[in-house]
Amino acid sequence: MGRGASEQSIGDKWEVQLRKGCLELAILAALWSGRLYGLEILRRLEDDSNLVVSEGTVYPLLSRLKALGLVNSEWVESEGGHPRKYYSLTKSGKQRVLEMAGIWARFSSSIGKLLDPLSRGSL
Amino acid sequence: MIFPQSEHNKQAQPQIENYLSTLRSHLRGVSEPYAQEFLAELRSHIYDKISDGETSPASVDEVLTALGSPKELAREFSASVVLDAANESKSSLRMLLLLFRWASLSVAGLFVFLGAIAGYFVGGVLLLCAAMKPLHPHAVGLWAFHDATGDLNLSFRLGSADPPAGAHELLGWWIVPLGVLAALVLILSTSRLAQWCVRKFRASTLAGTLGGLQTKMGRFS
Repeated sequence: MGRGASEQSIGDKWEVQLRKGCLELAILAALWSGRLYGLEILRRLEDDSNLVVSEGTVYPLLSRLKALGLVNSEWVESEGGHPRKYYSLTKSGKQRVLEMAGIWARFSSSIGKLLDPLSRGSL
Repeated sequence: MIFPQSEHNKQAQPQIENYLSTLRSHLRGVSEPYAQEFLAELRSHIYDKISDGETSPASVDEVLTALGSPKELAREFSASVVLDAANESKSSLRMLLLLFRWASLSVAGLFVFLGAIAGYFVGGVLLLCAAMKPLHPHAVGLWAFHDATGDLNLSFRLGSADPPAGAHELLGWWIVPLGVLAALVLILSTSRLAQWCVRKFRASTLAGTLGGLQTKMGRFS
């Protein structure tokens, strides 16, 4: 029983690390087709990939991406009466997300090859 | 900044402002405009969620819980702002101030701060020597002398006491240009080294996982 529980927690930790590591790529990719504000980015991430552990962490990360010059931000009044902070990719942000997408594609195809025997074995 | 004042929002307001002021009190080393902008963005997020027309409006408790602990969020934001500023800082004093703030946020920061203190301190002493030499030529300098056992000793002096008997000065007036040069090299390389540490640390916290996995995978394929 105890062994099962510790294996479970190792699996959870790994998943959390994996999600954290992909968060930068996911945010930049979400902004690819146009400007979004924080909550829209979060909803994109929740719908498509279930990446976010705690919602707040996306805001310090966005401010860091801005400091690195990968995104720009602007305040825009909404019809609801309060302003929202919109983010959009800069030129170097676009470059960065393309690089990361390339790395991701190579990475996931090599993992896929390694995992191939597992799926054949289960059939 | 005006926010929609529905009945629901009015009730929620004290709870939200309480959350934001707790967060504000834990922001360290973040300048006022940065802090205000961060709070405004979070406020916008919270009001958006509780007054969302499409889905049923979430309760304030739910929204704040999903956002995470205000203390943790403040630490994360402070660390990212402080590290970004330290990375761009050109002045040693400002660097030291930023490193001091980083030291209060993490153990890695503490070690880099102590290292930088040592580097700047020795650099400062060397500059002081160079400045004092013209004023007190006999009190400042690097002397060599033989002690009672006959071993050669080097004595670096900065003060008013007389040098040991039989000692001779090694550098003379050269201590001025050499001291200034050594001090500048030391202070600049301390800043560079601290900035290198900041960059390393930043890279390891920001999506370092993917890059690390990628290099390891290279060996398999």
